[in-house]
Amino acid sequence: MTYVLGRSAPVAGKTDFHRPALSALARLRATNSVVAGLPLLLALCLLWEIAPRLGWINAIFFPPLSAVLAALGDLLASGEMGRHVGISFQRAGLGFALAVVVAIPLGFLMGRYPLFEKATDLLVQTLRNTSQFALLPVFVLLLGIGEASKIAITFYAAVFFLLVNTIVGVKSVDPLLLKAARSMGTSDWDLFRKVIFPSAIPAIVAGMRLGVKASLFSVIAAEMLAARSGLGFLIQNSQLMLKAADMYAGIIVLTVVGLLLNYALVWIERRATHWRQGDGDQPH
Amino acid sequence: MDRITVTDIAKTFTLKPGQFVTVDGRESNAITVLSGLDLTIRKGEFITLVGPSGSGKSVLLDIIAGLTEASAGRASIDGELITRPDPRMAYVFQQYALFPWLTALQNVEYALEVRGVARAERRQRARHFLSLFGLGSFEDRYPSQLSGGMQQRVAIARALSVEPEVLLMDEPFAALDAQTRDILQSELLRIWERLETTVVFVTHSIDEAVYLADRVVAITARPGRVKKIIDVDLPRPRDLDIRNTPEFGRLKGHVWEVLRDEVRAAQKDWALSTASH
Repeated sequence: MTYVLGRSAPVAGKTDFHRPALSALARLRATNSVVAGLPLLLALCLLWEIAPRLGWINAIFFPPLSAVLAALGDLLASGEMGRHVGISFQRAGLGFALAVVVAIPLGFLMGRYPLFEKATDLLVQTLRNTSQFALLPVFVLLLGIGEASKIAITFYAAVFFLLVNTIVGVKSVDPLLLKAARSMGTSDWDLFRKVIFPSAIPAIVAGMRLGVKASLFSVIAAEMLAARSGLGFLIQNSQLMLKAADMYAGIIVLTVVGLLLNYALVWIERRATHWRQGDGDQPH
Repeated sequence: MDRITVTDIAKTFTLKPGQFVTVDGRESNAITVLSGLDLTIRKGEFITLVGPSGSGKSVLLDIIAGLTEASAGRASIDGELITRPDPRMAYVFQQYALFPWLTALQNVEYALEVRGVARAERRQRARHFLSLFGLGSFEDRYPSQLSGGMQQRVAIARALSVEPEVLLMDEPFAALDAQTRDILQSELLRIWERLETTVVFVTHSIDEAVYLADRVVAITARPGRVKKIIDVDLPRPRDLDIRNTPEFGRLKGHVWEVLRDEVRAAQKDWALSTASH
């Protein structure tokens, strides 16, 4: 029997000198999506710059990109942007952390014990389908306009993504793995720790990815509606104060933060499920 | 010396509400897969269990493994009643059952970790057993990066690493291609001859059953019990060529003769239960 070692797929970045020159189209296909997407993004930026300058759009409501970037520079230099972003992150982070602490143990119980799930499922489904934004006035009434109501809404936004995915992850454990683990004498506690938990990790991490974004967006919305600080407040307040450039600066920061967060989470997800990567690349 | 004793074992499964099977022309919501099964397995012998589908061979293995409770009768190891998984036994499954998030080495180490073997020793022992199966250079691979044959080698290495007195194997080579199966059978025999472990091996293949066994146990159609035990007096060590000898052919023919009526009965049973749906 022969074993084929290593991967047969071509290695990225390695130049094959014997290959004929690539056509322009083939080269475009080969470039990564960030590079390939840049021209369109730059065109949008250019349009943003010239449209207000040529009077196609009112510059008071829609200042040119350069003015927005200048405002962004000022906000960054004064530390105001950093402060607001920091506050939003703190709220979203606390709410999200609370959601993790509640959802994962609860999800394990619901996924593992059918009777417990039967008893709790209707309540969870009811709460899950109540919008966190509809509950903001309730949170403000009960918890005040301060930090607690913001943390509550981010918690609420994230907790169901985490809960549902944890349940799915726990239920998707291969029964054969449980049987094998039991045959080796694995205790109930180790079964949770060493078999069910690792099996559920991919689903839990996917839930975290959704939950983090939901937390961030919810805190922004909450800050727009009822707050005196945070990125949402900055965006909303700038609009009220007719500081359009500051408002767009806030929106740009939010977009960039969202993008970076998404890439970071994709990276974490890939790390957490790296053992799946070998699929379809097997020696015989 | 007797290692495993199975006495008058029965196992009945109750079906879900609304599900029925036809037993002797009557509808029933319970299905008896084993009934009145007796078997004694001697220390260090290689036993293969053959029988038609549904004759409860795998269930018998689960009962011996302490994973399933018998409805009646008793199973014991070295005279002690089996009530839960016993550290003296290890189990190998048809579908490998490796933890996909652990490397080959970590998978073998897991079995040792559960039994409380210290870190340094379990690494060393895991490496030793992987190298017995020629997997030394694959220890850092994840199961998804290994072929079926290699995954099953890891699973057998994992089972043997705890140095069990009894190795239970449930159709371990059934999912593999014919060549890989031949190779793994020989590898298993080679290693078994060194370790002197008792092996209880369930298979559908009469060829495999005769090639591996000291004794072939033929199980009847459902409800399963022992129909006949055939002694395989082929010399050891055996290599693959032994399959071409007239003696091997004679034994295979004998086992098939014993099983033929049971396979027919099982097919009739199956035909009835499908016709009733």
